[in-house]
Parts: sequence; structure tokens; C-alpha cells
Amino acid sequence: MDTQTRPVGTMNSRQRVLAALRREPVDRTPVCNPTSVATVELMDLVDAPFPDANRVPELMARLAATGHTELGFDSIMPVFSIIQESSALGCKIQWEQKDNWPTVKMREPIFQDVQDIRIPPDLLTHQDTRCVLEAIKILRKEFGNEVAIIGKTMGPWSLGYHCFGVEPFLLLSLDNPGKTKACLEKLKAVTVEFGLAQIEAGVDALTLPDHATGDLVSGEYYARYLRDLHIEFAQRLPVPLILHIRGKTEDRMEYIAQTGMSAFHYDSKNDPQESMRIMRNRTSLVGNINNPETLFSKGPEEVRKEVYQNLNAGVQLIGPECAIPLQTALENLKEIPNAVRDWHKERAAKN
Amino acid sequence: MAEITDITNEFIRQEIEEYIERPEERERTIKTFSKSRPEMQAIAAALIDGDNDTVSQLTRQALDAGIEALEVMDYGLIAGMGIVGIKFRQNFIFVPEVLACARAMKAGMAYIEPILSAAGIDPIGTVIMGTVKGDLHDIGKNLCIMMLRGAGFVVHDLGVDTSPDKFIEAVEETKAPLLGMSALLTTTMPNMGKTIDAFIDADLRDEVKIMVGGAPVTQEFADDMGADGYGKDALACVALAKSLLGVEVKS
Repeated sequence: MDTQTRPVGTMNSRQRVLAALRREPVDRTPVCNPTSVATVELMDLVDAPFPDANRVPELMARLAATGHTELGFDSIMPVFSIIQESSALGCKIQWEQKDNWPTVKMREPIFQDVQDIRIPPDLLTHQDTRCVLEAIKILRKEFGNEVAIIGKTMGPWSLGYHCFGVEPFLLLSLDNPGKTKACLEKLKAVTVEFGLAQIEAGVDALTLPDHATGDLVSGEYYARYLRDLHIEFAQRLPVPLILHIRGKTEDRMEYIAQTGMSAFHYDSKNDPQESMRIMRNRTSLVGNINNPETLFSKGPEEVRKEVYQNLNAGVQLIGPECAIPLQTALENLKEIPNAVRDWHKERAAKN
Repeated sequence: MAEITDITNEFIRQEIEEYIERPEERERTIKTFSKSRPEMQAIAAALIDGDNDTVSQLTRQALDAGIEALEVMDYGLIAGMGIVGIKFRQNFIFVPEVLACARAMKAGMAYIEPILSAAGIDPIGTVIMGTVKGDLHDIGKNLCIMMLRGAGFVVHDLGVDTSPDKFIEAVEETKAPLLGMSALLTTTMPNMGKTIDAFIDADLRDEVKIMVGGAPVTQEFADDMGADGYGKDALACVALAKSLLGVEVKS
């Protein structure tokens, strides 16, 4: 697929990302991180370690900026984990140390039933949501309109896992579909409110993780529970949305393409060619460089190979498949933009 | 050779016809069900359907009628869970359905376990399972546990965020010959290697076989850190556990 219809160097990073999210012509394929590219090495470099970089706006912004300044990505993503709004909802968090992500203690659920769901009045002023909003403002001020700043608001299915526990929530979905839908309806307010607040703070796009992964539920489940909600999010949140679902998702990509989401951040378990064929240019794809086996365990040559596979398939934005392992070597991450530039040079030379 | 028509329960016949594709698994399943009583087939059918109330009721009835607990477990519950595992591996069903089947299995085992325990009947094996230190994710581990229990293993679940010391303590306490570790995060995956090293340091490595699994874990990674085996999913975990303990596949 021919995506480069403008001369290289005529767009800045932000313009490039936004154009690719709209499937408009770009000067070169953008390198994008809809989830985290934070590493321990980057934390040390700018003195912004976990867990504080998840809770202190200045540290969050400083670490996030390295995705652009050190790695050369076209976007900046300040939300490194998936716990910020769950923390504000009252979930218990294990904050961990520099070498591990914070995680919701899902074995200690805060809700048992639909009537338990309460959106706290301080949802947007809680330390862990406010941190994101403040970090976005800092980044917008620092980078102006040069780099795409992407926020993140969790979808109701993921919030269901966090608040009810994974197993109780999945069993509820089988035992009582009506109640499950009622839970999702209530939880969607969190997605919308936090999303709108980030837009007001200055994001260019929002990642919307909603982990209805093929490793846990069927494609039919996605259609039954989430497609309509995702259509609603695409209508109510007035920036490009990047849906993020891990695992094998080819069986639900057709439904995803019907939602109006600008892009789908897809996993390396899915074939780039086949995924592009399903999407039929209705939704951009972002991804899908493998994390554990390639970025974490192998070298730049293997990274380059996967970047080229995606570019050859016409994937609109290139990046890791998900939040990268915190011990990933920087040379592997830097290889992503290098490989994208080389691919475009090689293609230009052929033409 | 047993034929599918030897199975009296229509639901079980349909399940085999529709979902079991591999010839050896098909043959084994037909063989199992063809020699089981209609009551056992009904228990298996209810379990496959995720109907815990019916499994509970039928299990109690079977035991009241004098059918041995071991037979109810092997030909009702475990046989049913065998079909569930295959359907899950082949993506005919997903985690919510498996959770419902495991709940049904548990409902039946609530009657069976005390009887077997009182009679001193040994399980086919004992396994310690846990998610490694720093990792709070347990759905993968729990699916493995459900399938292991569904295959007749006794499993001691150490839960999440399990330190090497806790694993060692559990092995020393239970004398379990097999340990399974799970990790979902790339950041916690190395803790599997650290736990294996801790067993070496404690001079216990030869006492226990160690298997590992989890979304980011690969065979290569398992080999590098010195695990005895890697299972890519819950059904593979059961096969691996049987193989590491030298348990023959039941027919």
C-alpha cells in the first residue's frame, strides 16, 4: 500500500501521527507509542523512576518526553500503566519499585454488584488522575504542536476486571449478561470523563485500552458487549481514539472496524497483512513489534525485520505491540524509527 | 474398538462429533465414555454445559446410589473436563465458559474429595502452583489449576506475588514433586529464574520438577533459566505435568 504521498520532511511529528490516524497522506510512516515505552534506563537517564513517575506530574512528563527526545518516536505517551483511574475509583494498587509496573490488586475487588458502582466525586482530582492531567499540560507547553501527545482512558471492560476481579467479572458476563451490560454502562462514565479531561488538558489523541482479548473472550463477546460502547466513545470523545486490545484479535477486527475508532493498536499474534485486509482502510493499525521475544530478547536486526513486515503490509503507524518490558535495550527501541526511515529511503530509491 | 454409537448420552456424542478433531483424542474420549454408565455421562454433560447445580445434584445421587466416588470422579467429572479442555484449546469456548465448567467441577468434587481423602486414595499427583514475585496476575495460573484439578491432580495454590521462599516452604511442607510458576509481565518473568536458583541454593532442585508458563514466556526462556518444562496453555500444562511425573494418559 502506498502511504507516502508527501515529500519526506514536510511534516512534523504531530502532523504525521494525526494524518496517519485519519489515514491521510504522510511524508513518512510515523513511529507511535500508544502504550508505554518507558524503560529503567530512561528512568535513570532523566532521574524519573517508577513508582514516582506514575504519581508525580513533573516526573511523569519528564520520563514520557524521552520517548521522543531519546528514542525518536513521533508521539509522547505519559500514562505508563493502566491503573490511574482504577486507583481513583478506590482499587488497591501495588506500586512496586523502579523495575516493575504498578498493578491493581484484583484479588481485592471493590465492587460485587452493579449497585456497588460509584464514581467518586474526586475522580478527576485524585492524585493519580490529576497527575496525568498535569503531565499532559506540562508536555503540551514544552512541545507545542511539534509532537503528538497521546493520553489514555481505560475502557469499561478493563475497569470491570480491575473493580470486580477478572474471574468474577468474566463469570458475571456468562451468568448475567443484563447485569454485565449495566455494569459497563455505569463504568463508561469513567472512560468518558477522564477522556474529556485529558482532551481539555491538551492531548491530540487517546488510547482506549479495553482488554476483551482473544486470550480470554470470543470475538462474539466483543460484538455483544463492547462494539456499541466503542461506537459511543468514538462519537463522544472528540479526538482520534486508538483502541488497544492485546492478544489474538483477528476474529474481532471486523467489529472493531465498525466502531469509528481511528486506530487499533494490535498485537504481534496477528498477521499484519491479514489484519490490514480485514480493516480495509476503515481503521488505521498501530503496531505490532513483538515485545517479549523481539524487543526484549533479540537484537536490532530482528526488530528491523518486524518493522519492515508492518511497513510492507501498509500498517499506518509503527510501534511496539504493547507497553514495552522495562529492561528493553534502548538500541532496540531506537531501531524502530531508524528502520522506518531506511525503509522509506529504500523505497524512494527504487522509485 | 469402541464406537461413538456405544455412548448413550446424545449430548456427549454431539460434543465429540462437533469438537474433537484429533483422531487420537477422539478415540480416547470415545473409549472412555463408551464404557461409562449413563449416570456418569449425564454428570459429564452437565459439567460441559457449566451447570453446577445439576452436577452437584447428579453427583450426590450417584454416590447415594452406591457408585464409587473414584468412578464418579474419573468417568463423570474428569471425563467431562477433558472435553472442556479440548474445546478451550481449539477456541470453541473461551475463559468465561471454562470458569463455569470449573465451578461445576468444584460442585461435584465437594462430595468426592472427602470420600477419597477418608479412604486414603492418592491423587494422580500433587502440584504446587503460584504466580511469581511482583506479579498479581493469576487468570492463566488459575486456568492451569482448574485443568490440573480437572485431570485429577491435587493442587496447592500459593496465589500471586509468590516469593522464592514461599515456593520452597510449600515444597518442603507438602513434599510435592512438581512446581508450576506463572508470570504475565516481562518484568516479573526473570523471577522464575531467581526462584529456580533459590531451589538450587537450598539444595532442593533435585527434589522437585519445575514447569513454567505465562503469556510472555517461551520454551527458549524456560530452557535458559533451567526449568524442566514449559506449557503454552492450560491443556499443555496438564500434559506436561503428567509427563514430568510419569503419569500415563488415562484411557
